[in-house]
Amino acid sequence: MNSRQTLLRDVLILFAFAGWAVALPGFASDFVLSLALTCLMYVALSTSWALFCGTTRYLSLATAAFFGVGAYTSALLVETWPWWQVVALGALVAALLAVFMGALVLHLRGTYFAILTFGMTELIRHTVTFYESTVTGTVGRMILVAPDSKTVYYTVLLLAVAAVATSIVVRRTRFGLAMRGIGSDEQRAQTLGVDTRLVKIGGFALTAAFAGAVGAAMAVRWTYIDPTTVFNPFIGFQTVLIALIGGAMTLWGPLLAAILFSILAETLRLQAPELYMMSLGLLLILFVLYLPGGLASVRWFMLHAAWSALREGWRVRRYRWSGQQARDEARARQRARERRHV
Amino acid sequence: MSELHPQNQLPPLLEASEITVRFGGLTAVDGVDAVFRAGELVGIIGPNGAGKTTFFNAISGVLRPTSGKLLVDGHDLIGRNPHRYAAHGIARTFQTPRVFADMAVRDNVEFGLKFAGRRPRPWVFWGPETRVPWALRTPESILELIGLAQLGNLPAAAITPSQQRLLEIGMALATRPRLLLLDEVAAGLTEAELENMAQLIRRIRDELDLSVIWIEHAVTTLLRHVERVIVLHQGRKIADASPAEVVRNPDVIEAYLGDEMESTA
Repeated sequence: MNSRQTLLRDVLILFAFAGWAVALPGFASDFVLSLALTCLMYVALSTSWALFCGTTRYLSLATAAFFGVGAYTSALLVETWPWWQVVALGALVAALLAVFMGALVLHLRGTYFAILTFGMTELIRHTVTFYESTVTGTVGRMILVAPDSKTVYYTVLLLAVAAVATSIVVRRTRFGLAMRGIGSDEQRAQTLGVDTRLVKIGGFALTAAFAGAVGAAMAVRWTYIDPTTVFNPFIGFQTVLIALIGGAMTLWGPLLAAILFSILAETLRLQAPELYMMSLGLLLILFVLYLPGGLASVRWFMLHAAWSALREGWRVRRYRWSGQQARDEARARQRARERRHV
Repeated sequence: MSELHPQNQLPPLLEASEITVRFGGLTAVDGVDAVFRAGELVGIIGPNGAGKTTFFNAISGVLRPTSGKLLVDGHDLIGRNPHRYAAHGIARTFQTPRVFADMAVRDNVEFGLKFAGRRPRPWVFWGPETRVPWALRTPESILELIGLAQLGNLPAAAITPSQQRLLEIGMALATRPRLLLLDEVAAGLTEAELENMAQLIRRIRDELDLSVIWIEHAVTTLLRHVERVIVLHQGRKIADASPAEVVRNPDVIEAYLGDEMESTA
């Protein structure tokens, strides 16, 4: 498949998904709609996360910080400003935060980068808590005037589509190529002329803008927000988990995993919340060990090979457990003995 | 070098003076001066640990020297990021091939063309790039030059180490450099491959109008092909002359060459 065909395929798949999602409020129940909303939120978050962190292999845990900053922007302004401006401002504030944060920590790699982004998220959360309790004298904020749930749904849908579309486009630009080079060998990319610092900060800000916009859009769903809810590190972790399980280097992996996970979460969380967390952890371990490329890296021949290996394993076991192996070996020993006597 | 040498009249492309690199208490490169002019083919030799690669890292921006001055085409680039060096026409290869393993061979070459190798076009977005040698026009022509034209669609991880060394050169050439730094590109090659590599390096220098600095352990081959040799020993420059003069230099013979040179001299 050449690159134009791939582009066409990706755009068509995106249209198909978006079409389903647009039509959904027309016939689905409220429960399905809220499930779809969570689903779209994670599609937007993990696709945009994978866009930067997947290709450059900088594992950021700061999604919760950008999400929370966007949510607070929304909580402060939603009653006075037009809706789309609130969302755009959420994106802008988060992107600015990312530029600042990126300038500080993007020269670090691996574990150090991951831990520092996580630490900064916690720092921001506690700063907001401190500010709210000492300066404004509140714990959380009420959102009294909010757009209806359909507006929120379509906003998040638009953000999810925008995230996937951005991902499709960026992969074909010099910017995307530079990020791939950084992920592959940062110093080599630098000696070939990539201004890695600029690219990294730009990519980080792009990711953050999506997280901030999603945060701003989702905040009004809660009616009451406080730092513990919107800066919940679990949002960041789950984004990373979804992207890794889906395949952080792939375009459709995060989307696929986000859909699966939202359904899994809704079905398990009601009956057994602990079971949900445990299955998340187990799935991550299994994927890292056996499918590091993620869900989207699965190909038919792999399934076929796995199936053949399974069948072969069972054939060997059957041979052993049926006693046939022992009989064959006894006969071989008997023959060897007879040959010695002759 | 003698004053009669014609290249003395050319303006220097890269001027390194008093380059010193220290790692804690260890002085890896100790006050090395060197001038490289347009169109030169210079070899750098020295025993293991003489500081050859460290010197390369310092003059290609990968490593910030502890002290010293570095003028690239008149610009002081000390402390700048490596992409600035690339933009000023300095390209390098690495001792162990560092190709982008998950990309195709052709895309590896195209990478440089899209970043440091980009040149203005006659119209804003299209048309051929201006003032680029024919051999460096497209990824295909570069692959042709380094002899990997048949392998363009393979992933770079799938080709042999010696082909990866060639690909490294191709990636560096794709930045359309004026000074090419080759760090042991012929290490681990067979005798025949080594000779081919030397021929390729000479061809690149002759046809593409750029200068080459070449570090190599295979001293005899290197001395046959270069016009000037810099000898490093324990971080210091102990000789900088033509191969014929260097092999007669008593310091060099004592420090390094020994009987390996007797056969060539």
